[in-house]
Amino acid sequence: MSVLPFPSFLDDVKEKGLKRAALEGVNEVTERITSGMNVQDIREALRGEAASRKPNPRLQPHADGFWLHMRPSYFHRSVTGIYPTFRLGWLSTYFVFFETITGILLMVWYTPSPEIAYGNMLAIMSEVPLGQFMRDLHRLGAEAMVIIVFLHMLRTFFTGSYKKPRQFTWFTGFILLFCTMFLSFSGYLLPWDQLALWAVTIGISMIEAAPPEIVGTNLNLLLRGGPDIGANGLLRWYLLHVLAVPALLFIFTGVHYYKVIIHGHSLPPKQENIGEDTAKRVPLDKRVYFIPDVLTSEIMWIAVTTLILVVLCVWFFHAPLEAHADNQATPLGTTAPWYFLWLQGGLKLGDKIFWGIIFPTLVMVFLAVMPYLDVTKSRRFAHRRFAFTVCFLLLSALVAMSYMGLAEFGVKTSADSEIIHAMLMEPAHNHMGVLRPIPYEQLTPGQFTTEQFAHEGADQAEAVAAFNTMLQESGDAELFRQYMEVNQHLPLPSINFIPVPADAPELAAGLQELGHEIAGVPNELPNATGTIIVTQVQEGLKRVDVVIVWDEVLIENGNPVLDAEGNPVMVLDEEGNPVRRINGQYMYIHENSQYFPAPGA
Amino acid sequence: MNLQRLLFERIDHRILVGTVSFLAIMVLVGWVAINEGARMTAFEQQYLARSIERGAALFASNCSPCHATDGRGNLGRAPALNSPYLFGHNFLAEVDAQIEALEIERGVAGTNGDTTRVGEIDTELLSLQAERDGLIAEMAPAIALGFNPDEYSRLSSLGWGSTLNDFVFSTLYSGRPVSESYWPQPMVAWAAETGGSLRTDQLQDITNFILNWGRGDDWTIEDLNAVRQFPIYPVQPTGGDTSGEPVIGADTELAVIMENLDPLTGDPQNGQTLYNSATYACFGCHGAGAGVAPPVEGTWTRVQEERLADPLFADYTGEAYLAESIIHPNAFAAPGNWSGIMPENFGDRMTYQQLADIIAYLQTQDQPIE
Repeated sequence: MSVLPFPSFLDDVKEKGLKRAALEGVNEVTERITSGMNVQDIREALRGEAASRKPNPRLQPHADGFWLHMRPSYFHRSVTGIYPTFRLGWLSTYFVFFETITGILLMVWYTPSPEIAYGNMLAIMSEVPLGQFMRDLHRLGAEAMVIIVFLHMLRTFFTGSYKKPRQFTWFTGFILLFCTMFLSFSGYLLPWDQLALWAVTIGISMIEAAPPEIVGTNLNLLLRGGPDIGANGLLRWYLLHVLAVPALLFIFTGVHYYKVIIHGHSLPPKQENIGEDTAKRVPLDKRVYFIPDVLTSEIMWIAVTTLILVVLCVWFFHAPLEAHADNQATPLGTTAPWYFLWLQGGLKLGDKIFWGIIFPTLVMVFLAVMPYLDVTKSRRFAHRRFAFTVCFLLLSALVAMSYMGLAEFGVKTSADSEIIHAMLMEPAHNHMGVLRPIPYEQLTPGQFTTEQFAHEGADQAEAVAAFNTMLQESGDAELFRQYMEVNQHLPLPSINFIPVPADAPELAAGLQELGHEIAGVPNELPNATGTIIVTQVQEGLKRVDVVIVWDEVLIENGNPVLDAEGNPVMVLDEEGNPVRRINGQYMYIHENSQYFPAPGA
Repeated sequence: MNLQRLLFERIDHRILVGTVSFLAIMVLVGWVAINEGARMTAFEQQYLARSIERGAALFASNCSPCHATDGRGNLGRAPALNSPYLFGHNFLAEVDAQIEALEIERGVAGTNGDTTRVGEIDTELLSLQAERDGLIAEMAPAIALGFNPDEYSRLSSLGWGSTLNDFVFSTLYSGRPVSESYWPQPMVAWAAETGGSLRTDQLQDITNFILNWGRGDDWTIEDLNAVRQFPIYPVQPTGGDTSGEPVIGADTELAVIMENLDPLTGDPQNGQTLYNSATYACFGCHGAGAGVAPPVEGTWTRVQEERLADPLFADYTGEAYLAESIIHPNAFAAPGNWSGIMPENFGDRMTYQQLADIIAYLQTQDQPIE
């Protein structure tokens, strides 16, 4: 007789006692959740023992469960090692989910509007517990995903796994690579800082070059949402980033994985006869079952990967956040994200239409259809010398062009501006001005000159005194006064340079660095002196001016014109005297600003 | 090669590595979480510091031409921001509190008939009053500029009901119009939304920079005396008034004005001084680049060649036109200019000789019109 008017757990308790009834209940629930494996089966699997009952319960979840029905129940022993897959495909998949989860968390605090997006970033950094951590993980994960997906493609190329019948798998993989890069890039715009605005502006202006003009102009307008990126543009990029491209990515991840399962994981090339594909015919003795071997391996890999990301985000990496986006102020040395540097490098080679549109399109089309062009049967390394050569040539070109994309290459800014920039620049691209990290106390108010260190072994105080005398005699002092006036400087009692005090070694080092930089370009900046002028503006706020004075030389195409003896040609005034030039910039430093040198700098 | 297969050949090793990694992740995330409070505070502090830095740069290029690089203001042009008056510091607070307490005590003692105590208190009050007078005497330079020691706070003078941050920010955001009886120069609205050139986050940067001048209780009377202009109608620090002579009167009719002007000879030199003085501050609106009103340069040429050609002014002389423009500025606005901007109170502040001098100065402004 049942306790309740229907059979229930209580009946079991009555019949078997509480302990046994409870255990059996747990067992039953476990078996339902795993679609076929009870507690004992799981225990055996995790112990590495053989299954004790038949039919093999470890195959049941593949047959009955949703999640594992899309995973094969066994793999060929040869594809479960590090080589040939390096687990790159699995990790790419993991990053799709990793980025989705961290991204959704960030979306909670984000509004795609130029008025508040940047304020949202500040709120994420200052008011949301773990907000900065989530942002760091999302950003680092994005960069890692680009690398891993790219390496996955390279691996597939080297093992020849794109060959028949897997051509279409490669093609969907190419689309996934494209989606990954676009997602990573479109995420750049969302913080609405200077880095965001200018990286994306560069990217879009490349598209603007697309011929014919009507296409380029309209594509440009579509992507910017107007002549400049503003509210419309931000909203569009936001929707692309969180909706359109992820949807594409998820669909193609599905197609890609489906194709992988349909054709099986290709074996290492030398294990098959040329032209054969035995991936789907796995002999019994070569089978490695998904449960437990591959499953534990996969979980271990993502745990280790996540740990690496977490460690990096705790100690070594913080997602950059630069100053608020400003259409009016182009930062010096803006570059595309590192994975698009090759494009920027190409643009420096010449024609915008060819290098910005035609060349990348050709590269992409070539990558997409490569399996249909390379129809040779052999997957063995020795038989694919030509393909490998082409691949290495392309990789070398990629590296070389990426180097050329750096701001250091081929962009000519006047030497004085460049030196001042190197001294003062705001933190960007993991760099900052040499003078910024100097401790606040060491920024002693005063006027300092590189002449102090100009002559090794000479008395430094004397050198500075001599400089003061020279200033008054040559009229350079007047230049300084004018500079001060034009640049809204607090009135200085007098132009009087002093040696750097002994308790400010980092300021002295900064001054020396300025001297070295100037000495490094004697042809551009002859008879030059660099000065650092520190003034107290408010309590806890100082102003640091870096001012360079030099004799003007003739410059053509960004390079100084040299005479027969290799000396620069000076610009002379009507009386035949060299023309003195002055250039300076300033920054303000607050005692709580905490500019730290980049790790490893 | 054990490492070759699955990275770790044995399943228990894989489980161990995975479990340890997972626990390490949890420990690290927990560690980050514990430190979040401190980190967020540090970030806020750092962000405010950098905001002040940016504000300083914006202030230097946008605000310092009028408010001066040190924020002490410019006489006749813009008021001081680096000023105890803006921050509402009362230098008399301490002594006033003591006086008040003693007066209450004196009342109580008086009611109780304790005459000895009343006598003591009166002596103390005398010395406190002397101390108070001494403090006020120290403020003489500020008082000469129109500062009133009893009206020590800008915000309470205005009846501003919110914070200083909001006051500075909203002034930046909306600007400030010319006020007829109060301040002769407008401040433009700086926010992009109100037609200016700065984003609101930049306005907040500037506000943070200005608030960083605050010293709490550490303001000194030297700070007060260093102020070059208080946010009140510009006062010439050393006299510069009408020295007892009768003023014209804002309501005096033009015919009467012209009759009284007739026997006087204007001194263009003195007229120029008056024009550029803080008392009248004509240059504030008519100076080169002020952009608020017709520039002083070429005034006489324009009057002669353009205004008098207008049938409206058929029976005017150039002098009469200028006199009317100064004393009754809103009788007529030259094309392209707004009526109602120029204060109508010059007549109450100006003697006939001063008007004659200014007209004489304006007659020297006969540069050709471009």
